[in-house]
Amino acid sequence: MNFNTLLKKLMNKGNSKDIAKKRLKFALLTDKLEIKTDTLGNLQRDLVEVISRYFEIDTESIKIDIQRSEESSALIFNTPILSAHRQRGIPAA
Amino acid sequence: MDGKVVVVTSGKGGVGKTTISASLGAALALQGKRVAVVDMDIGLRNLDVVMGLENRIVFNIVDIIKGRCKIKQAAIRDRRIDNLYLIPASQSDDKNAIKPENMVWLTNRLRKEFDVTLLDCPAGIEQGFKNSIAAADEAIVVCTPEVSAVRDADRIIGLLYAQSITPKLIVNRIVPEMVKNGDMLSHEDVVEVLAIDLIGLIEMDDRVVVSTNTGTPLILQEESKAGMALQRIALRLDGHPDLPIENPMDKKSFWKKLGSRFSRKN
Ligand SMILES: Nc1ncnc2c1ncn2[C@@H]1O[C@H](COP(=O)(O)OP(=O)(O)O)[C@@H](O)[C@H]1O
Ligand SMILES: [Mg+2]
Repeated sequence: MNFNTLLKKLMNKGNSKDIAKKRLKFALLTDKLEIKTDTLGNLQRDLVEVISRYFEIDTESIKIDIQRSEESSALIFNTPILSAHRQRGIPAA
Repeated sequence: MDGKVVVVTSGKGGVGKTTISASLGAALALQGKRVAVVDMDIGLRNLDVVMGLENRIVFNIVDIIKGRCKIKQAAIRDRRIDNLYLIPASQSDDKNAIKPENMVWLTNRLRKEFDVTLLDCPAGIEQGFKNSIAAADEAIVVCTPEVSAVRDADRIIGLLYAQSITPKLIVNRIVPEMVKNGDMLSHEDVVEVLAIDLIGLIEMDDRVVVSTNTGTPLILQEESKAGMALQRIALRLDGHPDLPIENPMDKKSFWKKLGSRFSRKN
């Protein structure tokens, strides 16, 4: 640690590069979440296909969305389950 | 054997693509390769002045593509460095004057004549970028340790992967003093975020400006740290991929130097 960093630590000032890195990581994440409009539609179709192997779901009332806040981003998938399938699922590999 | 085509690209402007293309071209030629450096920035050429060849332009890349001249007529030979050639951009044409298939055609011919063809890509992700990557076998992505430059690099890397090209990274304009003080992203930070392999690190160096002022190759300047770094990058690009990458932060500090002096005496 050199004198300037020490001084900053003592004055309780964060390094500007730490701020830069945090901002950068967040920007890259949101850039990648800015997906093409048909991507969400395709994802929904694929998800329905997989989930339907296990559960009977109401394909009409499904909601899929990406929620962003300052700290994090989440993929929200919401579907009512009508019933569970017996003895199904992915065939053994 | 056919030569290879390497694109130097970045997304963001002003990060050092042209400087690096010119110097790598010179370094590779001095290492005994036949090299063509191509200015892909149609309408806004600059590589010619950086290489100091601006007053020798007769034909340009668009003339070649439109069949108005032969490749040999447009390629300017550097008289100071053997086997180094520049193919200048056109200053008057529109950037849509060339299409990716034209570049594939041109580079296939250049491969027969040159061991290495370097494409100095314009900023942005439009036509000039598309033309440049359509023809490239390898890519060097340049960025500076700044949020905007790294973000653009990330976008470019994604587009290169989509073309099945795995790029290598140069971090340029590093100021060790600022990194030390915590006021500049370190190259480790940048590599961590971008998750690609480095091919070199270049410090901020006043010699770069001097070399551009006079149009003399940076690598011919004694004592240029950037020039030395670029010579080593040229080696890594051509047959010595494992040459260790020197860390600009490793420089011995004044105190350490003093310390080693004392210890030598003892
Ligand atoms: N390592 C360096 N040290 C100092 N100045 C540099 C360095 N690399 C590039 N520059 C300067 O930065 C500016 C932009 O460089 P340039 O190569 O034209 O970038 P680009 O082609 O990416 O737009 C120029 O003025 C150049 O002299
Ligand atoms: Mg340029």
